[in-house]
Amino acid sequence: MRAQPKASRARTAETFKSWLIMLPGLILMCFFVWEPLFESIRMSLYKTRNVELVRFVGLDNFISVVTKDDFLQALQNTFSYTFWSLLIGFFLPIVMAILIGETTKGKGFFRTAAYLPNMLPGLAVIILWSAFFSGEKSGVLNILLSGLGIPRQTYLTRAEWVIPIIILIATWKGAGATTLIYMAGMAGVSAELYEAAAIDGATVWQRIIHILLPAVRKLAGTLLILQIISVFQIMYEPMVLTKGGPDNASLSLMQLMWQYAFGGSMNYGKASAVAVIVTLILLLMTAVYSYFNRKESDWD
Amino acid sequence: MKRLKNLVSWLLIVCLMLAALPLALAEGVIDEGLSCTITLGNWPPDTAPEAEKALFENYRAIMARQYPNVTLVPDYYSYTLSNYVPMAKGGTAPSIFQPPFTDPQLLISQHLVGDVTDALAAFGVLDKFSPSYVEMLADENGRIYGLPRDGYVLGMHINLNLFREAGLMDENGLPLYPKTLQELAEYGQIIREKTGKAGLVFPASETYGGWLFTNIAWNFGCVGESALEYQDEDGRWVCNFTSPECIAAMEYIRDLRWKYDILNADATTTDWAGAHSLLGTGEAAMNFAADDSVDQPTANKGLPVEDFALIPFPAGDFGRYALAGGTCYMFAPNITKDQGVALMAYLRILGKLPFLDEDIIAGMRADYAAKRDRGAPVLPAISAWNDEEYNAAKQAIVDEYCNVDMRLYNDFFDSVTQGTISLKSEEPVFAQQLYRELTAVIQRMITREGADVVKALQKAQDSFQEYLDDEINDY
Repeated sequence: MRAQPKASRARTAETFKSWLIMLPGLILMCFFVWEPLFESIRMSLYKTRNVELVRFVGLDNFISVVTKDDFLQALQNTFSYTFWSLLIGFFLPIVMAILIGETTKGKGFFRTAAYLPNMLPGLAVIILWSAFFSGEKSGVLNILLSGLGIPRQTYLTRAEWVIPIIILIATWKGAGATTLIYMAGMAGVSAELYEAAAIDGATVWQRIIHILLPAVRKLAGTLLILQIISVFQIMYEPMVLTKGGPDNASLSLMQLMWQYAFGGSMNYGKASAVAVIVTLILLLMTAVYSYFNRKESDWD
Repeated sequence: MKRLKNLVSWLLIVCLMLAALPLALAEGVIDEGLSCTITLGNWPPDTAPEAEKALFENYRAIMARQYPNVTLVPDYYSYTLSNYVPMAKGGTAPSIFQPPFTDPQLLISQHLVGDVTDALAAFGVLDKFSPSYVEMLADENGRIYGLPRDGYVLGMHINLNLFREAGLMDENGLPLYPKTLQELAEYGQIIREKTGKAGLVFPASETYGGWLFTNIAWNFGCVGESALEYQDEDGRWVCNFTSPECIAAMEYIRDLRWKYDILNADATTTDWAGAHSLLGTGEAAMNFAADDSVDQPTANKGLPVEDFALIPFPAGDFGRYALAGGTCYMFAPNITKDQGVALMAYLRILGKLPFLDEDIIAGMRADYAAKRDRGAPVLPAISAWNDEEYNAAKQAIVDEYCNVDMRLYNDFFDSVTQGTISLKSEEPVFAQQLYRELTAVIQRMITREGADVVKALQKAQDSFQEYLDDEINDY
């Protein structure tokens, strides 16, 4: 009977220590994550003058924002970014990881080469590619195409091309890092299993389908949701490359938020409303993913 | 006895020195009777470079010597429209501050700034104030509320190499440049056909397209009752993008792309710096740009000054307007007459009134020498004063350092000084948002051949009107 309070005291002491260890992190989270998040939600419900809250307006900012054409365009564009990023950018790192993994010579070189674009500053990458896709005669792609007798084209001023081009650039820069993560995941595959399959006569393709891909399936699921979250917040690429144009064809939701806050109108209330909407969409998508992921785990 | 003589001699010398002291101190005194306190906005903060702080301390010392009973109170205030209005209403605005040229007319119409007409008259310079600036810094009765600090006038930069290649030069080696917007389209077409390069670079990204478009719209008649935005009799701001004049101006932009095909290929991603780059590197022949950025295509992008010219903004069928921008000095609404005079005295020391002294001349020389060394055109600044003697003295210094054939610039400067072009400040309220809305319309026009001008302008008008209602009408 007396041992229980002792155990309980020990547990309390343990709990206290655990909280103490977490305390600096929690304080930082409160200051730099939760407080701005709640402040942003609060601000979205107010009429603002710069950062001052002038009066409570309920959902007026949300209604004003979502009923505008540019919001609908930005929302559609953001989903379009996500679609193209999944099409171009999701499978490429898996393919690269498999190819590099299967390489017997110069693996280190290919690994470094794949990661190299990731080390370049983001703005430098955009400026580099803007010269490549320039619609002038001096544009690199136009020079290459003129060698094939194809006349000068414009690329970044075409509404139908601009999002795939931006995603292509973002993938070029970011795919290497994801490739390394997949390679790390694939490294966890038992070498014996892989070799046994090879001895039993499994082709490379069969080994990939039946051993490698199942091994990285869960990792791919996690990276998928991270990619969606990341692409949903795309901002600097269109901002630098196309400024959201032509005619809002590459405007993203985060860029729209930036425009409300810093693009001359300084309407932080509406900017916060856009930020809250983006957060809600991402929360919803994450919840859907978690639901299916859990269900899958239960089946396992 | 000898010692006594020595003592008397020394006493006499000391007495003489003491007697002469007030005379020495009084040297340079201009008005001992002027007694007031003025607060000076934009005073350099403690973190400013030492040279800048020393410069302003020197201004203060000169002011203290010349006007010993005027007290200067440094203020680090930096103007924005949103922070100034409550200060002006509450009587705490600094005596002098520096707004951009977008705001004077709004501040004047709202009675948020002080009148310095009498103070300028006291210095004998009122009648020398350039009429070009009066429209921007005066009310409808001609009362003056501000002075320009630095400014620019929008014209057009041209790349003479492409004009030569297109055969658009006269027998004197001067460009046959477009004097009207219609000629701009036609000359641009000739350049495109003869050189394959863009006749005109039009930066139509973010807000730049709308910013330039307002100039074109003014020349199509979007002024006065047809202005892009105006205040109705109830004081509400009204957006007016669907006037026949504005529609005609937008159709002109559409034609530049689809009928004449003179624009640069990536207009929707081109910004201000990109436009200068295209002109400087010979990818485009003309660029709407101002006199304060002539160093961009030349010194910064390598275009030799002899291959560069600056011409006036082309006229439209309904007028000849060009944007005058920059920064000006304005004054708190509650300044007294004495404070007005003290502020003019302070601006005189800063070299902003038509008087020259050794310090001002030395500064000009250093500036022009640096420009010449960089390969930038050394040009006269557009004077805010119609004072022949003052302007001639300044021009003489410019001439010493001039590195260009002024025949390539004279038409531009003459259009401003002789008033053949009307200078206009930017649209009065929320200009940046207005530009953004118009830029979206321009982008639609130049990327979709069959775009409906009226529909696009109506959409932009609805959007900007909602913005005006939200931010100012129903605030």
